[in-house]
Amino acid sequence: MTEKDIPQITTSGLLNAEGLSQDRKYSLWRDAVARLMANKLAVISLALVILLIIISLIGPYFTPYDFLSQDLSARSQPPSWAHWMGSDYLGRDVLSRVIYGARTATVTSFAVVAVSGFIGIILGSLSGFAGGRVDTFIMWITDMVMAVPPMLLAMVASVALRPMVAAWMERMYASTGDTFYRQTFWADIFLLVTVLTLVLWPTYARLIRGQIITNKTKNYVLAARALGITNSSILVRYIIPNSLGPVVVQLSAGLGSAMLWESAFSFLGIGVHPPIPSWGNMISEGMDYWRNSPHLLAAPAIVLGVMTVAFSFLGDGLNDALNPKQWSD
Amino acid sequence: MTVLLDVKHLQTRFKSRKRYIHAVNDVSFQVHEGEALGVVGESGCGKSVTMLSLLKLLPPAARIEQGEAIFNGDDLLQMNSEQIRKVRGAQIGMIFQDPMSSLNPVINIGTQLSEPLRAHLKMSKADAWERSVQLLDMVGIPEPRARLSDYPHQLSGGMRQRVMIAMGLACKPKILIADEPTTALDVTIQAQIVDLVKDLREELHTTIIWITHDLSLIAGLVDRIMVMYAGYIVEEALVDDLYTDPRHPYTIGLFGSLPDLGGQQRRLTTIGGAPPNLEAIPTCCPFVPRCKYAIDKCKIENPPIKPISGSGESLHSIACWVDIRDRREA
Repeated sequence: MTEKDIPQITTSGLLNAEGLSQDRKYSLWRDAVARLMANKLAVISLALVILLIIISLIGPYFTPYDFLSQDLSARSQPPSWAHWMGSDYLGRDVLSRVIYGARTATVTSFAVVAVSGFIGIILGSLSGFAGGRVDTFIMWITDMVMAVPPMLLAMVASVALRPMVAAWMERMYASTGDTFYRQTFWADIFLLVTVLTLVLWPTYARLIRGQIITNKTKNYVLAARALGITNSSILVRYIIPNSLGPVVVQLSAGLGSAMLWESAFSFLGIGVHPPIPSWGNMISEGMDYWRNSPHLLAAPAIVLGVMTVAFSFLGDGLNDALNPKQWSD
Repeated sequence: MTVLLDVKHLQTRFKSRKRYIHAVNDVSFQVHEGEALGVVGESGCGKSVTMLSLLKLLPPAARIEQGEAIFNGDDLLQMNSEQIRKVRGAQIGMIFQDPMSSLNPVINIGTQLSEPLRAHLKMSKADAWERSVQLLDMVGIPEPRARLSDYPHQLSGGMRQRVMIAMGLACKPKILIADEPTTALDVTIQAQIVDLVKDLREELHTTIIWITHDLSLIAGLVDRIMVMYAGYIVEEALVDDLYTDPRHPYTIGLFGSLPDLGGQQRRLTTIGGAPPNLEAIPTCCPFVPRCKYAIDKCKIENPPIKPISGSGESLHSIACWVDIRDRREA
């Protein structure tokens, strides 16, 4: 990429030449942000991701229609000024449902990445630092999880856990009388996050373990030890920052893939259940009508596709921005 | 001259699967205050492992089997990890071969240079930054203040080695161990680095231990040279004695492989064969298979290192049964 050379000049060369950087303290993160901003594709992706987050936070309060309100006189309408993305087979506004689906997708994917990333990073770091039996044991577990096809494992876990969650919700409703325990949305999300975490944490654990093992034996770690720098300082300033780049990239790309997983599960009917909209169950419903109303399939599918690609490009951009070794190439 | 570091009978070996690699065997030497000691030998002869043993920086597979290294009245080899950490960088600094990979790529030069200052001298962040400017200036880096905010990849190899030297000397250690610091650099830069270390040595009165495989490089830099082969010290002499009158066949072989400037052109000689694998402690002289002066005794008994007769005060020592002067004339 030719754009790569431009931030090189901007961040150090030009600023130094003009004497602007005399007292400016550089930090990896600040430089990384500057670099990310110079990558057009990454900026567009970041904008889309931020837009998605905003929409999922406040969008449902501003939808043109209620996502559940049916209008049987206006069923399967093509896109129009009244219904920008048309209406579905029950006359519900597709745009409102896509916006609510954004909330489903965002909540699930962020929760999945946060929990599986957290577990993966903790166990992976432990594995990488401790080595020996701890390492063997943790890697043995990741091997076991990864040996089973992920979709199968997640489906089995989902089917096995659903009655337990349902029974717990029922008990909580009986004892508290809170209607929160009567709706299915949060129960579905909880179940999805649990099974997807089960499937996805080994990816992060293996990645960070590999990073730490590689960085432990780097020359600069030996050089730092030879200078008498404390172990904790070596860990915090040498090993972890050098290990983190690929993990951040994986976390970003992981958001996209978790979103895809949520849709896949909802498409198959084991994720978020109708009538709560998820892009996956909207695609599933749209499949039945695509000959006459292709927009029912197209609207959620395009949004899902664009968001997945955006997370992926953002991950790529972060990879370039966080890896100073690549800057000069 | 006072003895600053006294190493006795150091033995280090690596464990690989069920075998041992005897990397350093019964090595004893002294380093005097203010001197510059050269350690010479081909790859894998135990030069670096000897020095890494002293600072306990060995990889996990290696173990120090025996020996002592007395520095300031304490045995370095008996220190626990916290005690030895306080020696590293503060009392004995060490710099390495490959400046390209010896700096942490994700933090800038200034922060890295500040690390040892903050760890040993407990300087504040701002003080350490100011001191770093002086240190970079000392090692001849132009615009030191601007360079502090640079990342390692923005500097050339020679610059990075200068930074490494600045880091190694940051806390004014008594000894600086330089492990082939110029090997990865091109020839003109090599000369600059050697000159820099020479100047710094005079300025800071630091004792230098310079590891290299290049005899010609250190001639003007060091006072004394120790030649190592297969984990043993095979010859030890003042630099002039070694260059004018090398006595060990291995040292002679090393000189034969250097080109002369000025003199007539000749084909460079090589030392035939390869160093022995170090899986067992040899019962013969380890150089026997490659030695053209070998006699029967060399195949039966490994020669200990001893001063040669008539060397007097200079303590020119070799580990060889043969007096090669007789053989050369014959």
